[in-house]
Amino acid sequence: MTMRNISPGVWFILPTMLLLAALIVYPMLSTAELSVTDANGAFAGMRNFNVAISAPSTRLILFNTAYYVIGSVVFQLLLGILAGILLNQHFAGRALVRSLMLIPWVVPGIVAAMTWAWMFHTDYGIINYIMTQVGVISEPIGWLTNPNTVMPALIAVNAWKMFPFVAVMVLAGLQSVPEELYEAVRVDGANFWHEIWHIMLPQLRPVLVSITLLLTIWALDGITIIYSITGGGPANRSMIFPIQIYVQAFEYFEFNRAAALSVLYFLFLSVIIVLYMRVFAAQEKD
Amino acid sequence: MRDRRRTLLISLPVAILVIVAVFPFLWMAVSAFKPLAQLYTIPPQWLPDPPTLENFKNVVFQSNIPRYFINSLIISIGSTFLALVFAIFAAYGFARFDFRGRSAALAFVLIGQLLPTATVIVPLYIVLNYLGLINTYLGLILVYLILTLPLSVWMLTGYFRGIPKELEDAAIIDGASQLGVLFRISLPLVTPGIIAVTLYSFVATWNEFVFALSFATEKEMKTLPIGLAEFSTEFDTDWGAVMAASFVMTLPIALIFLVMQRMFVGGLMSGATKG
Repeated sequence: MTMRNISPGVWFILPTMLLLAALIVYPMLSTAELSVTDANGAFAGMRNFNVAISAPSTRLILFNTAYYVIGSVVFQLLLGILAGILLNQHFAGRALVRSLMLIPWVVPGIVAAMTWAWMFHTDYGIINYIMTQVGVISEPIGWLTNPNTVMPALIAVNAWKMFPFVAVMVLAGLQSVPEELYEAVRVDGANFWHEIWHIMLPQLRPVLVSITLLLTIWALDGITIIYSITGGGPANRSMIFPIQIYVQAFEYFEFNRAAALSVLYFLFLSVIIVLYMRVFAAQEKD
Repeated sequence: MRDRRRTLLISLPVAILVIVAVFPFLWMAVSAFKPLAQLYTIPPQWLPDPPTLENFKNVVFQSNIPRYFINSLIISIGSTFLALVFAIFAAYGFARFDFRGRSAALAFVLIGQLLPTATVIVPLYIVLNYLGLINTYLGLILVYLILTLPLSVWMLTGYFRGIPKELEDAAIIDGASQLGVLFRISLPLVTPGIIAVTLYSFVATWNEFVFALSFATEKEMKTLPIGLAEFSTEFDTDWGAVMAASFVMTLPIALIFLVMQRMFVGGLMSGATKG
């Protein structure tokens, strides 16, 4: 094959592909290598994996990760779908409300984390104040220091941060629903609830499937909010898998163990990424 | 009658939605302007009385935040620009040519965009360390390409596809080279795309936390998100300063958002008039 036979397109994409290979493929191969060697570079078989998996905190961390991801995605979807349907209705000031709703999504993650940490403050936080005033709780709760409330609190922050994204996608999806569908069920005397259940949600299904996969990937990547608010504490009760990778590598300097965790993390993620890409490809075809 | 009932039915959830979305942001702003004594009161004081710039003075003159701000600016602009240069060529290649392995390459770009940062921090640290790039602007600019490059390629490919091919064919018949076509004809036509990609990349790198936490550990190199998180790691958190710094960090993003929104609306309008 001579140079002339190569499509010019290849030359256009080549620099980018090489750069991405250096930044993504090489590190991943190197992670795989690190995970089966010891600190001196000698082959260690599955030892790093065994040590990482048999650590006493592993079960708690896996549980926390599942808890955080499922909790986040469920509430992001629920809030986002409700907001999307609401913003698709006609009311005065709709354009303004649509812009204001985007604020959580636009605010930097770390700023959202710090602001909520302040709002959750045990003594001076506005959340404890409002809840005690209303009578939901009788005395202030240490939201971020109590092992039973720390995860729900963090999930609330993540749900707040990402629900506008769901709402925007739902809104876009609803705008492409033909008006005739609504008219057809209205003739049969359907109320608003029926419209949501029998028209909007079925029509939104493809959008919701791909959003759910995206939200899952993003929640699994959720270091910023948790690490900056609790650092994984109290006593590992908010420690999730990706933070554990960071802690092993940069606080304990156990690079090989961290690499073993990265490999496991990546294997799990790749299942979701492959699912997402299949959904994505199927939707591109339509 | 039915309309009025509907308005009432809808205004309550709308009000709740607006409060949920806006309140934390407002509370941050309000707290940033409160003197210390009014931050730590039970019950909390709703509005600062009188508003003070004391927290901002602390942030600007007594913390490292100004330095972090400049670091963030340099790194974000550097990575955004570098990604743009590479992405213009790659996106044009993906949009205009059909070749073997094209869809595989595109899929790889998409994977790069989806890949969580925690999967690659360990080896990236080792590579950067080997190259002497830990705690350097160049090091962070390079690793931030993982965020900006796939995103830029992906978005720009869409914009290039939107240009009618006939425009380019005409120029080629007139004897222009492929590169000449890209720079003289196609690139000016995707200016809105270039702006959108630039802003998206800037926001993504400006907000990035994990890479900065891992690869910029020295005081001189830290970025704003890390500086912000640092305030609260000590036992005695100065919440006034944290809120003021948060406010400062959000400002550029808010400005970008305002510009984007106008562009977004403008794009819709031009589409409507053409249609």
